[in-house]
Amino acid sequence: MFDGLKDKLSNFREDAEEVAEENAEELDSDEAAGAESEADVAEADAEAADVEGEAAEPEAEAEESESSSGGFVSKASSLARGRVVIDEEDLDGPLRELELALLESDVEMSVAEEILDQIRADLVGEERKFTESTGALVEDALRDALLSVIDVNGFDFEEAIADAEKPVTVVFTGVNGVGKTTTIAKLARRLEDQGYSVVLANGDTYRAGANEQLQEHADNLGVKLISHEQGGDPTAVVYDAVEYAEANDVDVVLGDTAGRLHTSSGLMDQLAKLDRVVDPDYTVFVDEAVAGQDAVNRAREFDDAASIDGTILTMADADSQGGAAISVSHVTGKPILFLGTGQGYDDLQKFDPEALVDDLLAD
Amino acid sequence: MVLDDLGSSLRGTLDKLRGKSRISEEDVDEIVKEIQRSLLQADVDVSLVMELSDSIEERALEEEPPGGTSARDHVLRIVYEELVDLVGDSTEIPLENQTILLAGLQGSGKTTTAAKMAWWFSKKGLRPAIIQTDTFRPGAYDQAKQMAERAEVAFYGDPDGDDPVKIARDGLDATEDADVHIVDTAGRHALEDDLISEIEDIESTVEPDRSLLVLDAAIGQGAKDQAREFDDSIGIDGVAITKLDGTAKGGGALTAVDETGSTIAFLGSGETVQDIERFEPDSFISRLLGMGDLKQLTERVERAMEETGLKEDDDWDPEDLMKGEFTLKDMRKQMEAMDNMGPLDQVMDMIPGMGGGMMDQLPDDAMDVTQERMRNFSVIMDSMTEDELENPRSIGASQVRRIAKGSGQSEETIRELLDQHKMMAQTMKQFQGMGDGDMQRMMKQMQQGGGGGGGGGFGGMF
Repeated sequence: MFDGLKDKLSNFREDAEEVAEENAEELDSDEAAGAESEADVAEADAEAADVEGEAAEPEAEAEESESSSGGFVSKASSLARGRVVIDEEDLDGPLRELELALLESDVEMSVAEEILDQIRADLVGEERKFTESTGALVEDALRDALLSVIDVNGFDFEEAIADAEKPVTVVFTGVNGVGKTTTIAKLARRLEDQGYSVVLANGDTYRAGANEQLQEHADNLGVKLISHEQGGDPTAVVYDAVEYAEANDVDVVLGDTAGRLHTSSGLMDQLAKLDRVVDPDYTVFVDEAVAGQDAVNRAREFDDAASIDGTILTMADADSQGGAAISVSHVTGKPILFLGTGQGYDDLQKFDPEALVDDLLAD
Repeated sequence: MVLDDLGSSLRGTLDKLRGKSRISEEDVDEIVKEIQRSLLQADVDVSLVMELSDSIEERALEEEPPGGTSARDHVLRIVYEELVDLVGDSTEIPLENQTILLAGLQGSGKTTTAAKMAWWFSKKGLRPAIIQTDTFRPGAYDQAKQMAERAEVAFYGDPDGDDPVKIARDGLDATEDADVHIVDTAGRHALEDDLISEIEDIESTVEPDRSLLVLDAAIGQGAKDQAREFDDSIGIDGVAITKLDGTAKGGGALTAVDETGSTIAFLGSGETVQDIERFEPDSFISRLLGMGDLKQLTERVERAMEETGLKEDDDWDPEDLMKGEFTLKDMRKQMEAMDNMGPLDQVMDMIPGMGGGMMDQLPDDAMDVTQERMRNFSVIMDSMTEDELENPRSIGASQVRRIAKGSGQSEETIRELLDQHKMMAQTMKQFQGMGDGDMQRMMKQMQQGGGGGGGGGFGGMF
């Protein structure tokens, strides 16, 4: 996961630095600012020649035609103060490449546009001293933009479980086939390992084989499962599980729900009812990392029906893109809590946005 | 529907060309950008999008529009030719004895698709059997078994087995007298080497006539790698797209067919075994064009009429609509029939003049609201007496109050229902002159009527 994005981000960084450097140096030599930059000019030019053609060419053109027009006065005046300004036009090429890179990584289009806007706002018109490294500037802008969409709030699931009054009820929602049930089993194992007692509730009273699936997990994990027969009221199942937990001093209730498409208004109403009646302490939205542009639609709809506290992305091991993580956390304003990384009970990783961004931007 | 938005945004952009006879480079540029945007939002692979838009751009600028063709039609034709080229034909599924292997990621909907396909084959007069080889996921056996029961087809699986290859072999023997064998497999993704070699073993054991890749409509750019890996290991002959009843556009399927050199076979759009359609490129293109899809609609209408009419205690005949008084009972039947056709927006999309461009103008929740209204109406009718249903015009204010109390609906809603009935009764009167109730002719009539009054009796509901 995120491998593709990582390569593409590093391309953008190089391109943007390049553009900014070239621009700066060009002005520099135009104005005959000093001998010490001569070497840099040569270096920048050589680099420009090396770098893959597609990205470098358009902005080289843009730059030639633009540097003499609108931006010139401001550049010149900044230059007088020993600074240089990055022009919007200079960034167009690299930003377009970045946009495609983000889309290729499954970042949703409007989210990608926001990231670009933020980088543009950060970099364009930015006055920098000659001594400051452009690289640091571009990297900071990229880091800020990524963190602002991924690192949405400080909710920590495990701390929340530790602090909450017991029993804690957690309900899992999501569309069909994203791996809610498997995720619940993994989380049950994780919580048991941390010393909590867990009871599972099968609120999926619709899908064929749902009871059997969760029962088998419960048997494997040695935890209790509360279930009703197929066709029953999911709210009642979760409610019963909470009663059971209270009576038996169980710490955590993990409630499964039937997968549903966010377009099915009847089923979404059912979810809203469950949220109202059971009033779970936390609602976790589960989606698959391989989801594309639609991930934001469904995250938003599920958040509307039964407000979510965080998201778990499954099948992260099948996905080299990772854009869904960025889109979903941005659009819901809720953090990604865990990544599912395989079919074993232990294949659940805590998600750390800072570490992710560091990793993405690492050389 | 697949690439729904492409249709509407394209129509919007192309409308700007209306009246022009020559296209400027800027026009083409704008159209191409719009196409790129729509395709990318539909999850089509980025490099495929670029390829497609490049060739559209090139052709739009270089090819001379044939004499008498407007710029708009010229570009439209190029866009559709390129799309048709990409989409290709529907996967050929002959109605004969065969073995089909299903493969795909976890949760893409293989088991449901297996049952749906089996149902589809059984409706075509073949005897299908489902063989479930997923020994990994808990509950897989039970799910497949229950789905097979719902589809009323033969089933083989082994809840205690742990060797998928053996189950596949035993399954073929055990269901020997079936015509079509559908072999369901455990979900796996392309990066799991051991599971990929497992499915290769299954493949060489069952020697399928066709291997289909089952893809979730919501899959993103990862579709390309997944499709390629599956194609490399077992050879993909066709793609089944699932969960098209959501908002995802299924562009990943286009990527997959492009990557594997295969075609689209089936479309899945719901949780019941009937929610399956064969992929029809013609339908696909005409829906995209906003021309409606009469063939699918007629099929659905006939199926729905059959289901509605199947109930016992029924002397109701759709043909009765064409003669005599249109009562609330008729209206209820019509609503039931509509309901049986499936979600309204799917149906509307197929009605000429209603789909595409016109759907774009309706608020997003128009269909939900309408469906909600229909449900309320049917609750109200449950609270009416036999006499009131037969003679709705006789219902007075005190009766409205009683019905409101009985049904828990507002008096206003009841009056809306009565108004609606009046309007439909009038529409029906107009149709009565047409002779027999041939649905297709009726639809055509509506189309010629300008589509504005389209949707027949339900026109006033929107």
